[in-house]
Amino acid sequence: MARIDLQNLAHSYVPKPSGPGDYALKPLDHVWRQGGAYALLGPSGCGKTTLLNIISGLLVPSEGRVLFDGRDVTALPTEARNIAQVFQFPVVYDTMTVYENLAFPLRNRGLRGPAVDARVREIAELLDLTPDLKHRGSGLTADAKQKISLGRGLVRPDVAAILFDEPLTVIDPHLKWELRSKLKALHRALDLTMIYVTHDQTEAMTFADTVVVMHDGAVVQMGRPQELFERPAHVFVGHFIGSPGMNVLPATVYGRSAHVGGHEIRLARGYPPIDAGRVEIGVRPEFATLAPAGSGVPVRVRRIDDLGRVRLAKVELAGIPMAATVPEAMPLVGDEASLTFEREMVHVYADGHLVEGEAA
Amino acid sequence: MLRARIVLGLYIGFLLLPIYWLVNMSLKTNSEIVSGLTLWPHTLTFENYTKIFTDPSWYSGYINSLQYVALNTVLSIALALPAAYAFSRYRFVGDKHLFFWLLSNRMAPPAVFALPFFNLYSAIGLFDTPFAVALAHCLFNVPLAVWILEGFMSGVPREIDETAYLDGYGFPHFFVKIFTPLVASGIGVTAFFCFMFSWVELLLARTLTSVDTKPIAATMTRTVSAAGMDWGLLAAAGVLTIVPGALVIWFVRNYIAKGFALGRV
Repeated sequence: MARIDLQNLAHSYVPKPSGPGDYALKPLDHVWRQGGAYALLGPSGCGKTTLLNIISGLLVPSEGRVLFDGRDVTALPTEARNIAQVFQFPVVYDTMTVYENLAFPLRNRGLRGPAVDARVREIAELLDLTPDLKHRGSGLTADAKQKISLGRGLVRPDVAAILFDEPLTVIDPHLKWELRSKLKALHRALDLTMIYVTHDQTEAMTFADTVVVMHDGAVVQMGRPQELFERPAHVFVGHFIGSPGMNVLPATVYGRSAHVGGHEIRLARGYPPIDAGRVEIGVRPEFATLAPAGSGVPVRVRRIDDLGRVRLAKVELAGIPMAATVPEAMPLVGDEASLTFEREMVHVYADGHLVEGEAA
Repeated sequence: MLRARIVLGLYIGFLLLPIYWLVNMSLKTNSEIVSGLTLWPHTLTFENYTKIFTDPSWYSGYINSLQYVALNTVLSIALALPAAYAFSRYRFVGDKHLFFWLLSNRMAPPAVFALPFFNLYSAIGLFDTPFAVALAHCLFNVPLAVWILEGFMSGVPREIDETAYLDGYGFPHFFVKIFTPLVASGIGVTAFFCFMFSWVELLLARTLTSVDTKPIAATMTRTVSAAGMDWGLLAAAGVLTIVPGALVIWFVRNYIAKGFALGRV
């Protein structure tokens, strides 16, 4: 039950960092509000776990401060922070029974008697662990063990936050779905702050209210899943989220139009001349629709992939490969076609970062 | 299948033959031993054992040996537990070199250290005490214990440590209540190895003691009397020397192979 502030936080595993390249986590300011369900999304090695370990106190940041409800905890050891973390692989105290495992964090907080019992039984019930309560942890399956790990995180009612570090990696796919919805339900029921680290966008999108996308030690965008999808703040977010990712095309942008290889694409907003090394437009395949030749920007169709629910066309626009949606009714004749874009969904990027246009 | 059993049976019989012969001898009288070959004791006697258990010069040898062996085992494990934890969990400058250097201590013959130990312990008044032998044996038992325990500890995931902190345990609590039970089998195996090496070591034990704490192995080398060699008594002492090792090995029988691999599987 706490708001967590990160102030000017940075971490480097090198003792004397000489440049930005030495930082595993680049300076960042961030507020995790009480009761939020967050997902930290990014590829392996982007600093997600580093950030998590700093919040839980397993790692002392090289710079900056961590505040819990305004109290500086940067120098406080993990055991004094009242925080829970669930790791990628199940951690169960083999020498204790499942019940004792779940009661352990409560007893360490000085709770005794019926209060402990009630809480342990409640959590065990939520996680379907009740039949196993009397058993030793060592003989259980990997997913039962991971449920115990989750349970130990969830059991403290006053915990500052629960951090999940890719907790469903070892779980079978069909149970994964179930456990994830269970976590979501628990979040609603218990009003806890949860931070969920993952490199799986589906996991992040389904679990979290707010998704924080990290790349190369920095937060590149933070927002609701829909925002990340519709308005990626960085071409990396566009690539990383969505399957397939956003199309990024080198372009020259002036005013309300972009030119890609001599073809004009109309934009929803007006742009001043952009002074940057690399100017691109980004549009998701979902917002670029294939149309019969002559009704939009001309493209050459390379291949059509039938994904069951939708059909995706691999096309070339002025020699640049990209993907587009094929409408259901559209007949395909030859490889000449054209593209129409949803104007609101075409974004302009300068050196990878989104450029805000001026609405007319 | 049958052939395998026969081969295995022969092998075990072959291994057990000297032990059987020792037990056989210990139950015979001296006259039967020297008079000729008998496959089992014709004149069964427990005289030899009775002598060992009643004569202080004999049984005190066992007590002395057990004293320094137990002391050494406790010392070695107490020192090796934190050291092994540090080697398995932390990275520091020269850690790998230090770790290997520890093992290289085992490569020097103990005889090399007999003289310095003798001189040092005489000077500080430790000579002829159980502490002298126990400390001297730490020389080769602590490195061994560190190596075995490090292997077992590295098999325990680091996340256990972190989870215990997250669940509100400080380091001392965690180490004693969570971590030590998790490596209990490793500690058992390590204790066995320390026990065994200290138990069978003769040179340092004999050099560093004279009268009060003479180890059993030293007592056994002095059985020649005016009446000649007391074969039966010596055999009985030999049997009793095997017993403690056999007892200890029983407790760690399931983990002993892992121990021989220094805790690495």
